[in-house]
Parts: sequence; structure tokens; C-alpha cells
Amino acid sequence: MTNLSIFLLAIVFSSIALFPISTLSFSPESPTDRRILVLLDDASIKSSHSIFFNSLQKRGYNLDFKLADDPKLSVQRYGQYLYDGLILFAPTTERFGGALDLAAVLNFVDSGHDLIVAADANASDLIRNIAAECGVDFDEDPSATVIDHTSYAVSETEGDHTLVASDNLIASEVILGKKKIEAPVLFRGIGHSLNPENNLVMKVLSASSTAYSANPTSESSKPPSLVGSAISLVSVLQARNNARVMLSGSLDMFSNRLLRSGVQKAGSSNKYDKSGNEQFVTELSKWVFHERGHLKAVNVRHHKVSSTDEPAIYRINDDLEYSVEIYEWSGSSWEPYIADDVQVQFYMMSPYVLKTLSTNGKGVYHTSFKVPDVYGVFQFKVEYHRLGYTSLSLSKQIPVRPFRHNEYDRFITTAFPYYGASFSTMLGFFIFSFVYLYHK
Amino acid sequence: MSLYFGSGLRSDLNTLKHRGRHRKSEEMARSSSSTKDGESFLALFHSLRSAYAATPTNLKIIDLYIIFAVLTALIQVVYMGIVGSFPFNSFLSGVLSCIGTAVLAVCLRIQVNKDNKEFKDLPSERAFADFLLCNLVLHLVIMNFLG
Repeated sequence: MTNLSIFLLAIVFSSIALFPISTLSFSPESPTDRRILVLLDDASIKSSHSIFFNSLQKRGYNLDFKLADDPKLSVQRYGQYLYDGLILFAPTTERFGGALDLAAVLNFVDSGHDLIVAADANASDLIRNIAAECGVDFDEDPSATVIDHTSYAVSETEGDHTLVASDNLIASEVILGKKKIEAPVLFRGIGHSLNPENNLVMKVLSASSTAYSANPTSESSKPPSLVGSAISLVSVLQARNNARVMLSGSLDMFSNRLLRSGVQKAGSSNKYDKSGNEQFVTELSKWVFHERGHLKAVNVRHHKVSSTDEPAIYRINDDLEYSVEIYEWSGSSWEPYIADDVQVQFYMMSPYVLKTLSTNGKGVYHTSFKVPDVYGVFQFKVEYHRLGYTSLSLSKQIPVRPFRHNEYDRFITTAFPYYGASFSTMLGFFIFSFVYLYHK
Repeated sequence: MSLYFGSGLRSDLNTLKHRGRHRKSEEMARSSSSTKDGESFLALFHSLRSAYAATPTNLKIIDLYIIFAVLTALIQVVYMGIVGSFPFNSFLSGVLSCIGTAVLAVCLRIQVNKDNKEFKDLPSERAFADFLLCNLVLHLVIMNFLG
């Protein structure tokens, strides 16, 4: 008896404990990730990068630390993903343990989940392949690192200038936050170039024009393969399904040591007590895990100017009004999204009407226009793709019919000569018939 | 052409041709001048008119009717050029009623012309009845399309 009641209690408590977790997970209504799997190739990374992990946990993320070669590793069970995001801090791992492999990671992203990958010098082929699938090609020379002899971070010892201080950040408030990152970002690791065929991937932190990628310990015999500002240090990708991926050539840049370190860029007298790394990685992780830049469009409405009901069909030359509400996720609530470049298309094979929507500042976008003088099956289309924001693709089908037979104008003044001509021809015909038949 | 419009006109045209040839040789003998051109044009006009005078009256009535229809069509085209093609169906029906009338009248003229051996067996009453029927159909269509 007591055993049974304890058992029942345990079930009740465990279901209570599980309930908030299931409601807090990723959903279209609250798109921020919740459950994140962190894969490390060394358990010590958990403590050496604790500031980054703590900031994530403080923001409500549920981090699950695992070693990359854990034999029970799996991101999904019974077809359901167990995690919303994946952090790969395992640059040297050649093979993941368990069921996780390159294809599983790509499927994870393809199903709309987010990914942070940090590589390092001597990055494994696995990590390189994951990056290559995201349009990022790390320098193929395994011993090469990014070297910059003019914008390195000044330290006590002269060093080999592999600790690069860069402030070439992407100019995007939505990706890096509204507050400008003042201090340079410290970076020690390998550089990469972006695959020109992939137009979704973009540089967030790039090297200066004097940087190059080579082995710092050996004399270079041939010119380096990656040179100058073509080198990207940190890149992000937003896939077409709005999954976000961040790829960094340095694991060190997340470490407590570089987050806490002061920085002085060579050739500059500005000395900062703290590098820009903490703000950079925090803001970027907010973006990657959908705390920012996630849009949703709801309440697409359209109706004739004269009525408020949504018709099933329009007639050519009708005047109509179109409205849609667009909100941005702020990490905790949906805020009105304000922009002046949202456009709606009235589309059949090509846009017949393209109108910029005006906003009332509360998220409602509105416009009115005249249906073109063409009938057929049209669509209202909103295609909104902006840097850093999730893309919106709305389409709503609506047929357009021609005038009914009794809807045409009659007795148009301009047409009176034509009417007159027709009737005078008839009259002429009548008179002609008489004259022709009765002339002698 | 000469087959359909009758031999009355044809014989006159033949004499005209001969005369023209004579005139041409005379002209070549003398030195040609612009007054000669005007004269020959006038002579052409006169001979055409005298040739046409021989045309039967019923054909003349038909010709007058055709001229009336074509002129009405031309006036409408000019009007459309001025005000634009807006009620295009009205314009089309107005012009096509005139053109159609003219075409039907030309057909009637061909059929009732005594010189046309091809329609020798067709009574002119039958030809006129066809003309009436076709006109009825034409004007029915025009009324529908006038808008």
C-alpha cells in the first residue's frame, strides 16, 4: 500500500516537473531555443569557458554537457528532437559517439534547429565537413592559423602575432545588438573563406587587410592561400528554414581567459580593460538562438474598400485594402516590428502590383490599391528577406474575374458617333432598298 | 476587274488605251511639258465619266450607296483617331457595319450586273433577297456588339 502511494506520488511529481519543461521548449509561439546540447572534446572546457555557458544558463537555457565521444549520444528519440540547439565545442573530434554523425548534424539543422560550431588549429575533418556544408571553407593547411602583423593584440612578450584583435564587425544591429561593441574582439584560431555559391552565409567578424593564414612556426615557402579581408574569422548562416548557424575559427574566443582579458590593438593607444569578446559572443548567441530577429506575420486580411468582409473573388478594377501584422520576438514577448520597406505583391506569374506597406507603429501594415485590368488567379505575396531577420514568405491565393455582362457602361457619350453611324447605315439600307426596288 | 464591272466600261477603257498610245507618240514627237500632263489627266477623267454614264441606273444607285458607307466608315476612323479607342467595341461595330454594308453592296452589284456571264442564271430578285438577308444578319450582330 505505501509502496503504491509512493509510486503514484512519484508519477505525479515527475509529471509536474516535466510539464514546465515541455511548455518552455521551442515553438512557433515562443521561438527562443530552450534545450541545448553542448558537445566538448575535453571536460575541462566546461570550466575554462564557464562565463559563456553561465550567461546562457542565466538567460534560461537548459544546457546538457556531453563529451563528444559519449557512446550514448543522440539528438533525437522516436523521431522527436531532444534539443533545440547544438553547440559543438569539440574541434578535434574525428567521430562523435552514438548515433550522431555529419548527416545527423545536418538533419538537425535542416529541421530548423540552431548550431554553433567552434573550430581551432588542428580542426578535425568532421568539423571541417560540417562547416563546408554550411558554406564555410576552413584553411586546408592543418597547421595554419591567422597571423596579422599590424592588428595583433599587444602583450608583454612580442609573440608570433597569432592573437588577432579585430574590429571589422558586420554592420547589423539585429545580429550584434543595438549597443556598439567598442573594444576589439580577440581571436586566436584558423581562418576561413566563404563559398561564393552559398549566398546565405555571411561574415560577422572578418580579418584586417594585412592578415594572412599560415603556419606561424615554419618559414613559409609558398604564398598563403587565404589573405587579407577575404579571411573570415566568424561567420553566420541563416538557412531558408530560418535555422541559424554560427561558425567560428576559434574556440579560444569563447574562453574565460579572452573574455576577461584586456586588449590593446597594435598601433593604437586605446587600451581597453576588457576585450569585446564577451559582448560579441553573448549578442551573437542571442541571435543564433532566436532571441532576436525572429519575425512572424499574422492576421493577413484583405477586403474591398467599400466593405469589411473578405471576398472569395475580386472583380477587375476593384479597389481593395490589404493589411498584415508583423511582430518581432524580443526573447520574451512579441513586439511590433517597425520598418518602412515591407512590400506586398499582387502576383500572377509576375507581380502586377508592388506596393510598399505603411505601418501604424503597432505592427499593423496596411495598403490599398486597385486590382489590375487583368483577370486570372492572383496571389497576395509578401516576400520579406532582410539581413539578420528570419525571412517572411506569405502568399494567399485570390481569383479575379472580369466584368459581368451587365456591369459594363452603356450609352457612353464618346461612342455616340458610332451609334449614329450604325443607325444611319441601317437607315441608309432601308432607303436604298426602296430606291433600288422602285426606281423606274 | 473588267469582267466584273461590265463590258460597257471595258470598251471605253480600250478606246482610252488606244487614244493614250496615240497621244504618247505625239508627245514624244513634240517636247513634253507639264500642261500636257494636266490635259491628259483631264481627258482621262472625262472619258471615265462618259464611260460611266453608260452604266445602268440600278448599278449607279448601288455605287452611291457604297460611297455613302465608305465615307461614314472613314469619318468614324478619323473620329477614333481624335478621341482615342475607348469604347472599342462601339468603334468596331460602327466601322464594321459600314464596311460590311459596302461589301454586301459590292456583292449585290456583281450579281445584278447584266454583263457578268457568271451570274447570268441568277435572277436579280434572288440576288436582292440574299442581300436583304445578309444585311439583316449583319445589323443584328452590329446591334449586339454596339454595347
